[in-house]
Amino acid sequence: MGWVRPLSARTGGTAGTLGGKASGLVVLHRLGLPVPAGFVVTTGACRAFLRDGRPPAGLDEQLAAAVADLERATGRTFGGPHRPLAVSVRSGAEVSMPGMMSTVLNLGLTTGATEGLAAETGDRAFARDARRGFLASFAEALAAAAGAADVDADVDAVPDDAARQLARAVEAVFASWEAPRARTYRELNGIPHDLGTAVVVQQMVFGNRDGRSGSGVAFSRDPGTGEDTPFGEVLFGHQGEAVVSGRTTTRPLRELAEREPEVWAGLRDALRRIEAHHRDACYVEFTFQSGELWFLQARPGRFAGAAAVRVATELADQRLIGRDEALLRVSPLHLRHVRTPRIAPTAEADVLVRGTGACPGVATGRIATTADGAVRMARTGPVVLVRPETSPGDLHGLAAAAGIVTARGGPASHAAVVARAMGKPAVVGATGLAVDGASVTAGGRTLPEGTLVTVDGTSGEVVLGSPRTVTGAADAHLHRLLAWADDASGDHSARDEAQRLAAAHAALRGR
Amino acid sequence: MTQPEAPAPDAALPVLHALRCAGAVSVARVAAVTGLDPSDAESELIDLGIDGLVTRLPGDPPVWSLTGAGRAAGAERIARELESARARGRVTAAYERFMVLNPELLDLCTAWQLRPVDGVTGVNDHTDAEYDSRVLARFADLDGRAAAVCAELAAALPRFGRYRARLAEALGRAAAGETAYLADNTASYHLVWAELHEDLLVTLGRERW
Repeated sequence: MGWVRPLSARTGGTAGTLGGKASGLVVLHRLGLPVPAGFVVTTGACRAFLRDGRPPAGLDEQLAAAVADLERATGRTFGGPHRPLAVSVRSGAEVSMPGMMSTVLNLGLTTGATEGLAAETGDRAFARDARRGFLASFAEALAAAAGAADVDADVDAVPDDAARQLARAVEAVFASWEAPRARTYRELNGIPHDLGTAVVVQQMVFGNRDGRSGSGVAFSRDPGTGEDTPFGEVLFGHQGEAVVSGRTTTRPLRELAEREPEVWAGLRDALRRIEAHHRDACYVEFTFQSGELWFLQARPGRFAGAAAVRVATELADQRLIGRDEALLRVSPLHLRHVRTPRIAPTAEADVLVRGTGACPGVATGRIATTADGAVRMARTGPVVLVRPETSPGDLHGLAAAAGIVTARGGPASHAAVVARAMGKPAVVGATGLAVDGASVTAGGRTLPEGTLVTVDGTSGEVVLGSPRTVTGAADAHLHRLLAWADDASGDHSARDEAQRLAAAHAALRGR
Repeated sequence: MTQPEAPAPDAALPVLHALRCAGAVSVARVAAVTGLDPSDAESELIDLGIDGLVTRLPGDPPVWSLTGAGRAAGAERIARELESARARGRVTAAYERFMVLNPELLDLCTAWQLRPVDGVTGVNDHTDAEYDSRVLARFADLDGRAAAVCAELAAALPRFGRYRARLAEALGRAAAGETAYLADNTASYHLVWAELHEDLLVTLGRERW
């Protein structure tokens, strides 16, 4: 029985067997897009590991055979030292979830292979950087797998043998299925505990190779508004983990157009093709090495709220889907946002920075950069507290502020949790925003404390001044979608937006 | 075996440190954080104020906060306490374990406040008792693992024992139906947890990132 399958356009198997990530890579292969060579270890192998507490019989041999194939395909040697082959090892369950091991980069860079890489590239600093990336991600992976029990993943314990590194990384992915955080996620979201995860192993492409290398993530359309323009982040000269970790400041995706026009053109073309395949907005992770573009992941975009409405109507306009399907793509729950105040979509808004909306609603106020300042300034008018991130020491400032902006953190950060508890419009993870003393810098502009800004906790936008806000279905796309909904249900009476869409769903499903 | 000479107990340090970890807070919250009687907490605050280490800000209720000198003095005294207890290794190990639990706790607070339905994340309106009880059950499970970390911390430095009591109280109240004690008030599990996070960073002299 095969535990390991090469990744190609011909790879068979459901997402249940291959996992979501590998299935996405097979689609990319079928679309003829550049994907680093690799293979997938099936969820069946993980289930066997979880059941027996050890890898299934035959897995080692099959891994060795898959690596040998990869060596032949790439003309490289796993573990080096001559033309060393380095791989990435990633988890890939059918449904992605937090808490599982994410990625081991540059695996196979033994001390000998690192020397080989330095000799091959003539760039010792790069080879050392790659080796450091391997050691850090390997240690983190073993720690994640060990869960809370043992996080002292000792770098000295890293085997200096590429095959043993691979075996341990694969086991670490399997074991991380049982990480408590992943288990909690499954409990809360009704995902069975016995599915297991697949493991994706691919030849490394190096986003840190040189000045014409980098990594990024991209949506084919803007996930905040649904506008038909690519949106994302790019990090020049770094590997992909740095983009996802949020520890390094990324650049807006459009900077690729200037710095690497060929990569940009390739990316735009690929996004179109992946969209046409899914007939939906899509998300990709990519790396470019010395100007050459590679795709590491692709999936449908899963937009929410106003963006979901706009994408559905525009896909219908573009004849990628029919109107009935456009209606079914939008859940009536997506329309809850229409009763929340937002910055008017038509407003000539001067966007200072964008992050993730963490608590819906709009707040206008003067910038305060410290909690004490927020308390003081709030005595004379509304305040927006802008912080790099928040700690309990900021709580009195959060309480005094009308709105909250943080440069770091995601929708489950301390600031986001507190903002929701207090019901304050909040934007978190506004990358590119810097708080320096009593001023705030973003997009090349520096604003002193006291500058009037508006926070939209739905769209994640922070806008200069006090733009017009709207409540209700002011959105032209929503008007059109709801008109289609009334046509589908045959009911043109006055009802709220969610009822109109729900009636259309009922009529379409009853046909 | 001879014990190293015990340093004189620093009665003011818990109060000084409470303001460092919890921010600008009322006497009542200083009392809750430290476990001191409110009048004792206030008397310590007044003494620290005379020394120029803390300051009282008007408000309803008034709040106390550290001065720059108070922040520096607190950091120095906390560092001295850690070194004299020879606890850095144990606190560091416990901190590493805490950091494994931290994202899960934040996931849980978020799952309490927000809920994905049909792929759309919206406000949890708490009409689905079965979902809420699942979230609470995971809080309890996490709390069991957090208790082990708190025990290690308290063994290394007794003042950390206070967090165990406060976390247990928050969870107990939430389980008894006062669900604002999960993530929505100033004695919530989330905020006590966040203070513990801050305390570990301050104690070890680390940056958040």
